[in-house]
Amino acid sequence: MARVIFEKTGKRYGKLWALRDLSARFEPGETVSVIGPNGSGKTTLIKCMLGLVHATTGTIRVNGQVVGNDPAYRHQMGHMPQISRFPNELKIGQLIDLMDDIRGNDMQRSEGPLIRELGVDRMLDKRLGTLSGGQRQKVSAVLAFRYAPTVLVLDEPTAGLDPLSSEILLSAVREIKRTGCTVLITSHLMEEVEAMADRIAYLQDGGLQFLLSPEEILEATGQTRLSRAIPAMLANNVKRHVESL
Amino acid sequence: MTGLRPWCRAAAIISLLGATGPLGARTWTVEPGGRTSGITAAIGAAQAGDTVRVLAGTYAEGIITIDKPLVLIGVGRPLIDGAEKGDVIIIEAPNVVVQGFRITGTLVSNINDNAAIKVKKSDHVQLIDNIVERAFFGIHVASSRNTVIARNVVSGDPAVPETRRANAIHLWHCSGAEITDNLSQDHRDGIYFEFVTESHIRRNRSLRNLRYGLHFMFSNNDTYSDNFFKDNGAGVAVMYSKFVDMRRNRFTSNRGASAYGLLLKEINDVVIDSNQFVDNTTAILVDGCNRAKINDNVFRGNGWAVRLFANSMDCHFSGNTFVGNTFDMSTNGNPVYNSFSGNYWDRYKGYDLDRDGIGDVPFRPLSLFAMVNERMPYAVVLSRSLLTGLMDQAERLVPSMTPEGLEDDKPLMKQPHGTRHL
Amino acid sequence: MWKVYKYTLIDLARNKFVGGWLLLLLAISFGLFQLEDQPLKAMLSLTQVLLALVPLVASIFSIVYLYDAMEFTELLAVQPLHRSKILGGQMLALGTALVLGTWIGAGIPLMIFQAGSAAFTLVLACTMLTLVFTAMGALIAFKNREKARGVGLGLVVWFLFVLVYDAILLWIMYAFSDYPIEPWIVPLAALDPIDLGRIMVMLKVDLAAMMGYTGAVYEKFFGSMAGTFLALGALVAWVAVPSAWAFKAFQRKDF
Repeated sequence: MARVIFEKTGKRYGKLWALRDLSARFEPGETVSVIGPNGSGKTTLIKCMLGLVHATTGTIRVNGQVVGNDPAYRHQMGHMPQISRFPNELKIGQLIDLMDDIRGNDMQRSEGPLIRELGVDRMLDKRLGTLSGGQRQKVSAVLAFRYAPTVLVLDEPTAGLDPLSSEILLSAVREIKRTGCTVLITSHLMEEVEAMADRIAYLQDGGLQFLLSPEEILEATGQTRLSRAIPAMLANNVKRHVESL
Repeated sequence: MTGLRPWCRAAAIISLLGATGPLGARTWTVEPGGRTSGITAAIGAAQAGDTVRVLAGTYAEGIITIDKPLVLIGVGRPLIDGAEKGDVIIIEAPNVVVQGFRITGTLVSNINDNAAIKVKKSDHVQLIDNIVERAFFGIHVASSRNTVIARNVVSGDPAVPETRRANAIHLWHCSGAEITDNLSQDHRDGIYFEFVTESHIRRNRSLRNLRYGLHFMFSNNDTYSDNFFKDNGAGVAVMYSKFVDMRRNRFTSNRGASAYGLLLKEINDVVIDSNQFVDNTTAILVDGCNRAKINDNVFRGNGWAVRLFANSMDCHFSGNTFVGNTFDMSTNGNPVYNSFSGNYWDRYKGYDLDRDGIGDVPFRPLSLFAMVNERMPYAVVLSRSLLTGLMDQAERLVPSMTPEGLEDDKPLMKQPHGTRHL
Repeated sequence: MWKVYKYTLIDLARNKFVGGWLLLLLAISFGLFQLEDQPLKAMLSLTQVLLALVPLVASIFSIVYLYDAMEFTELLAVQPLHRSKILGGQMLALGTALVLGTWIGAGIPLMIFQAGSAAFTLVLACTMLTLVFTAMGALIAFKNREKARGVGLGLVVWFLFVLVYDAILLWIMYAFSDYPIEPWIVPLAALDPIDLGRIMVMLKVDLAAMMGYTGAVYEKFFGSMAGTFLALGALVAWVAVPSAWAFKAFQRKDF
């Protein structure tokens, strides 16, 4: 059974549909890059899955549980937002304690080496208010991976991270994928997409344009590089490409 | 039957204990026993100037009349029960002393002013240390001079309605009375004076009376001092009198729509000095008074400290302390022929640059909100709000509605030292 | 919920503004009691200051804090937690911090200089007003995305309750002074939580005046403890209604 299922999901803000009639299935152990121009609905898609945004239409299932008022399904999820801000006066250690507290039994699953690799374990006494943007991203990454999620959602994870930390993070993604975790990443960096994605979901104006593997895209467009293939997909009639497959 | 027969058969035994008084006065002793009256018989047997000792017990003899100068002393607080025949003790002779009794059982009547002790046209009577319970009138004195009423406790029945209550201590057409250290409670008026002159009311307590703690009409040249009036329905009323001197009294918790700590109506030449007014709806109402000196009093936590009606003249307020009153002052017009000078007002926000203890700018005790409230009494629910504070502040900066000239030209920066104990 | 409560409270305990509020209250309270000749006068001045300041600080601080914590709230919202527990913890923590600030900053000086039922009632009224305006602050914060708009709205609401409503009430009294509106005045005043707090204190301080006007209409109400309890009950409703509304808004909120 698919890990995450969107069925005709839509989200309307006022008159504007930020997400419309989106149906998709994400399988265990696959990494999906969600790409698209600004305002195409990437973050809305992610937030609907996390329960941060209430979908207007359709349903979403995570591990078979319908996303709704019951928060239990989120025991299986990890999330790293685009920008993280924490209570200024708490220490990193206290924040992690709080999350451990909330997660309860999730703690027993895994702590992961990420906290050491990103050097967060050496900053536990630091106040969150004193952290730089990159340091906050590291804390956020540690929290996202900490409870061995089966669905991991990363919103622009490497933005603001130094190259070394980015690499550490990406290899952690590869690592967790091997445990069968489904990973959704939004990213602007095509190299990152190329390196990580098993499939690519392309969103525009709230609609899913295609959800294909890089190989399928390259094949459909006859290009050798994704950075060229995707504009080519869009330049031509996408639907025709997809249907031709 | 001879005149002495009932006396011999009296269940109450009367014994003559020798004639030992300096003027040949004798002492009679009455003890309780059976049906027939003992006290009445003793009074009948005694001669003027004699003493009758009444030992502890209950005496129900109907109305007891004392018609000759006698000293009637209760030993061990005997109870005289009038059994609702009318008055209980009537004194119709001068120089009578009634002391140490417990008295009850007056008949409630709308025709006769029935009292536990009634004094009629008798001078130099002394009523001392008696306890009067659930009487209609407690002590009723009429047309008598130099009466002494001291250390009595006159308690009405808090359960009966006003129509079945009368005054605790009632004086009518008297002079030279000394009312001292009495407690009057749960009657209609605590102490009532009508046409009483040259008299002194001292150290009495008047509590929970339905109407006035002290009711004072057409009574001139009197003083009352060191009295305590609390929880009376309408407080203390002093009306149609002149040359009255009131000092060091305490007026407390007289609350209600028409309740006053002190109601002054048509009073001339009065001194109100060093009194304490706490928690009254209106501490002092001055209605049609002339030449009042109102000095060194303390007004604390009253609804209205002073209501000064415009028909008053030459009332001078000086050395008084106004703290925590909802309104320091109100009026029905423009009472400019009166004056305030050298009082302490907690609302005064002026300064004292020359440090002489007197504020450098005058204080206007009549606030705009007090005037508004005069027209719309229910506006009182807005007092102490930011709105009314701003209204008053604006009015103080640019006076436009409050009467001009109504101000304290020498507001004190601190409460006067002499009144700190009040 | 208690986990969120605990950690929000730790954050608030170190918050400079909460400490500053406490010190400001202490300074005002001790200042008034030392400067004023009469402790009763100081308490009455303090009453006016507190009845205006406490709602302002409670609502504006709650609004600002909740906006600043919005990303953290978002972090909590993606955890396996019911949203009601998140908001419950946060609001309780805000209420606790601000109420403790009031108790220490104003309650202690009051108990030192002017202990009594009036001072106690004042502290109680301030406590209730803190909770009322914390709830309203939460409601505003979750109903409006923009912080500036939220803070502005908080100021408007405060101004409405602290001044404008009373002006309207006074106007109503004036305009309808020919009608028997007396019985309506107190219920109308109950529509303003600050007025309710003020009336609670007045029932201790100005009872004599209140009994003067009300005569028969409210004599029982004011004369007994019933008045205080009714005002307290109305204030509880003033906490409950905005709270419930804030919870609903938070449940439906899209981050």
